Amino acid sequence: MRDDRINARREATRLTEPVEEAANLARKLGLEPYPVNYWIVDHDEMNELIAYGGFQERYPHWRWGMAYDRQQKQDQFGMGKAFEIVNNDNPAHAFLQESNSLADQKAVITHVEAHADFFANNEWFGLFGDGQGDDRSDLDAAAMLERHGETIRSHVEDPDIDREEVERFIDAVLCLEDTIDQHRAFARADERRESDAPPDLRERLDDLDVSDDVRRQAFDEEWLDDLAEAEEAAARLDEPHADVLAFLQEHGRQFDEETGRAEEFDPWQKEVLDILRTESYYFAGQKMTKVMNEGWASFWESLMMGDENFADGDEFVTYADHMARVLGSPGLNPYKLGMELWEYVENVTNRREVVDNLLRVEGVTWRNFHDVIDFEEVAELLAPDPEIESVTAETLDDLDPSDPRVDADAVERARDGDMDVNVDRYPWKVLTTAGLAERHFSLCRPQNRGFLRRIPRAELERLARYMFDDAKYDTVADAVGAVDYTVGWERMRELRESHNDVTFIDAFLSEEFVTENDYFTYEYSEATADFRVASTDPEDVKKKLLLQFTNFGKPTVAVYDGNFENRNELLLGHQYNGIALDIEQAKQVLERTYDLWGRPVNLMTVVTEYDEHELEIARRRNREPTPTEVGRRIRYDGEEFETHELDPELKERIAAADIDYDTKPDEWLS
Amino acid sequence: MGLREDLDRFREVGERRRDDLTEFIRYGDLGGSDADSIRVPIKMIDLPEFAYDPRDRGGVGQGDGDTPDVGQPVGEPQPADGDDDGDDDGEPGDEAGDHEYYEMDPEEFAEELDEELGLDLEPKGKEVVEEVEGDFTELTRAGPDSTLDFERLFKKGLKRKLATDFDEEFVREAMRVEGATPDAVFRWCREQNVLVSRAWIDDEWASIPDEERGRWESFEEMAGSVERTTTAERIRQDGIQEVPFRREDERYRHPEVVEETEKNVVVVNIRDVSGSMREGKRELVERTFTPLDWYLTGKYDRAEFVYIAHDAEAWEVDREDFFGIRSGGGTRISSAYELAAEILEERYPWAEWNRYVFAAGDSENSSNDTKENVVPMMESIPANLHAYVETQPGGTAINATHAEEVERAFEDETGVVVTYVSDPADVTDAIYRILSTEDTE
Repeated sequence: MRDDRINARREATRLTEPVEEAANLARKLGLEPYPVNYWIVDHDEMNELIAYGGFQERYPHWRWGMAYDRQQKQDQFGMGKAFEIVNNDNPAHAFLQESNSLADQKAVITHVEAHADFFANNEWFGLFGDGQGDDRSDLDAAAMLERHGETIRSHVEDPDIDREEVERFIDAVLCLEDTIDQHRAFARADERRESDAPPDLRERLDDLDVSDDVRRQAFDEEWLDDLAEAEEAAARLDEPHADVLAFLQEHGRQFDEETGRAEEFDPWQKEVLDILRTESYYFAGQKMTKVMNEGWASFWESLMMGDENFADGDEFVTYADHMARVLGSPGLNPYKLGMELWEYVENVTNRREVVDNLLRVEGVTWRNFHDVIDFEEVAELLAPDPEIESVTAETLDDLDPSDPRVDADAVERARDGDMDVNVDRYPWKVLTTAGLAERHFSLCRPQNRGFLRRIPRAELERLARYMFDDAKYDTVADAVGAVDYTVGWERMRELRESHNDVTFIDAFLSEEFVTENDYFTYEYSEATADFRVASTDPEDVKKKLLLQFTNFGKPTVAVYDGNFENRNELLLGHQYNGIALDIEQAKQVLERTYDLWGRPVNLMTVVTEYDEHELEIARRRNREPTPTEVGRRIRYDGEEFETHELDPELKERIAAADIDYDTKPDEWLS
Repeated sequence: MGLREDLDRFREVGERRRDDLTEFIRYGDLGGSDADSIRVPIKMIDLPEFAYDPRDRGGVGQGDGDTPDVGQPVGEPQPADGDDDGDDDGEPGDEAGDHEYYEMDPEEFAEELDEELGLDLEPKGKEVVEEVEGDFTELTRAGPDSTLDFERLFKKGLKRKLATDFDEEFVREAMRVEGATPDAVFRWCREQNVLVSRAWIDDEWASIPDEERGRWESFEEMAGSVERTTTAERIRQDGIQEVPFRREDERYRHPEVVEETEKNVVVVNIRDVSGSMREGKRELVERTFTPLDWYLTGKYDRAEFVYIAHDAEAWEVDREDFFGIRSGGGTRISSAYELAAEILEERYPWAEWNRYVFAAGDSENSSNDTKENVVPMMESIPANLHAYVETQPGGTAINATHAEEVERAFEDETGVVVTYVSDPADVTDAIYRILSTEDTE
């Protein structure tokens, strides 16, 4: 970026070694990060990168200016805590702020390596590539975004195109940037979902080998035509189109003031729409895995910095302080939530491994488990072997090169005095992933003492239920000796491949976690006109938490019909889950959607209303009024809004019967 | 990077989306501003999107040490912790409650309000005169040495020297012409534009030895053989031996007296704080008075404010307290005018200050106070404008007749205005009426 500056160069020199070794350590720990290019930037450049979403070049738009303005203001008031930026690219690009302390830089680097691993292996990130998540070598995000920037800039600067018009068009598309089908691979997201329309009955009849005679008698052609048409129409409504942007790309028009009609998009409009939709898909992976990804990076950062001593003595103090600040910031903190969920996964998996082995000791059953197992003894047995736990130049000779926990090659080089293998500084160099897993086995950490003992009886019983080989070991020592220390990390790596925030929180946010952290849900009370604690039930908390992550924390809106009532009107549907839309904002979105459809646009939704009578009674009895859920269709024709009752059949289609994110108790405030 | 451009575009877009002033004055949050900078909220700065109704959505909170009880209020929900590593563009819900402001100074506010309400108030009335020492450009014939204009003295002397300088050698040669007399030499020299004086020739005549006289046949022969030198050549050759300084050339500098005119204004804000002035009325007063203060601050070079609260008694308060005070007592509006008269007399003489006296209340007053005391006082306190703002949400109460009485009493006068505000929507009209009325004297 600005290599000519002395400070940047000095910083780069100072960081060369930590950068190389962090990547080595990450790989030793079983991670497979993309290669990372590090850049040293100054404070201003950092703010610019943050405004641009982690990249150096973006298309011209005022929203980046807004982000920059905010960033600067936050900075001014000392609220900015920009420590690191890394973007999802192969190779990934990470930016280090020149003025950070060495401890901070090391923390950032280890954090970044873990992010780069997540980018490379998580399937939701893979969706942007070819959809399989296997080959992402072509991902050249920085270049792609730069190209997009150049294209849009060329339209903005084109004297034949009104600049305001380009901006207006970009604004309109951005209002809908999250209405995509983010769960599908980008390459195929614009295709309709399978079983789009049922095959024509004629084809089915062909398959059934029905004779022509029967066919002629039973089904006349006209009837078959009608049936096919009706089924197709029904299918159109049954399968809403989640990728609204793709639908608009295909069927959208612009309203032409002069002719008073909807006309084809101009070529530049098509191009802009395509670019913005592509970027939406590119960024979707990040938005869907925020908690997991930040948690993952914090977990490995903490392991590398703290437990593997990547930070030197006094650096560690600065680091611990930094970490405490990041994890301690108030509100729902993705770093903290994510890291704690990962630790929970690690502990539970490790505990299952240990308990599974213990239950196979002769005489140990799930019923007597807590009576016959001496947990102190187990803890001692589980503790890592001394020669693995502390490796120094002096103990180098104690290591057995044939031990799978030992990196034979590295040991040999260390013994030969290879300076690259500085055991006192980086003891992990002579160990394998298995060795490191034993060194850092989670159940041996002081804060996790007792975790084994706390295993619920239900889980014990479940583990024991189908266990046939239950007298495999004679002694507890044998059983513990057979424990595979790597299972925890292996399981974590599997999960980081397949999960996103919603599935991850759903699967691993335990009751224990909710209670221990004093989480609760709150809802708005009509009676008292403020927010009140609504529930402390872990299920409710989880539900409410999931609402914040499902579909980017936003209501799902899809295309239900592109030819509503045979008038070429667009019919959007808000898939109602018990939480109403912000109607005023939705109307503003409709106004802009009109610019992309060129004909009237409709939005189906469900609103909660309170009738006067009900409010009066509730007030008098001092209870919460019961709302009525009413279906509404809001129509915008380019000039004004109309609100219609929603056809009950359509309401049926948008209202999900099985989910309700409302956590208000029945007897509230009474 | 094109980020500078994006920032400029953002500012332009933000400017366009700013609340218009009318809306802001009627319904906006005036509290975020102060006399130096008025903060007008910017509407919906970010793009709209399909979002949940924030009330209906509710959320997840974290107890501080223990889990709170169901039904307990939680206050305004904390937005989720913002993202700080830039690899994400937006956290669900973190924009909630974010306000952007457009800041303007009072001058800009006054200008905008002029434009928006079609006002045209030129600060007039007295222009206060003040004498200020200007530059040292005046000159006198006497003064301290340090202010002597030596440059002028030198120039004058030099001029004098140049004016009296002549080619002495040439004149001496002329004296050596056959049969020349001092008188003939003088006349001939003057014809040749030699600035010699008759006295000098007389003085020099004897210094020419007799044997040298008759060297030249005639003046013409002499002039043809002797080369004349110019003043410049002589100065170059001999230098300036002396500059003839004369007392009459001496001048002393002294400063010019400049008359600076400054437009001063004092605004007296009077508010009824008695028991009948409930929250709704109080807010209407604030909405009317605050923009007036800003406007006048922007219009005048120097603006000072006096805040008087009254029930049956009146007392002066600070601005911070002015709109918050509530008391229980009755109402006697004249008490406030008595205090106002005293303060104005003492601190803001009419000869030097433009004066505005604004009073507001719900028109309730003790019986006969308006007619017997207030009206005469309003007549007797000289001011550019007296205004009474009646704030009576939902129409007038039966006994509240102060505004009407004042209006009737000053029907034919130009320096008094009475307005009625029953609703925030009336505020801008009231401001317009007040600012477009001015005593024409």
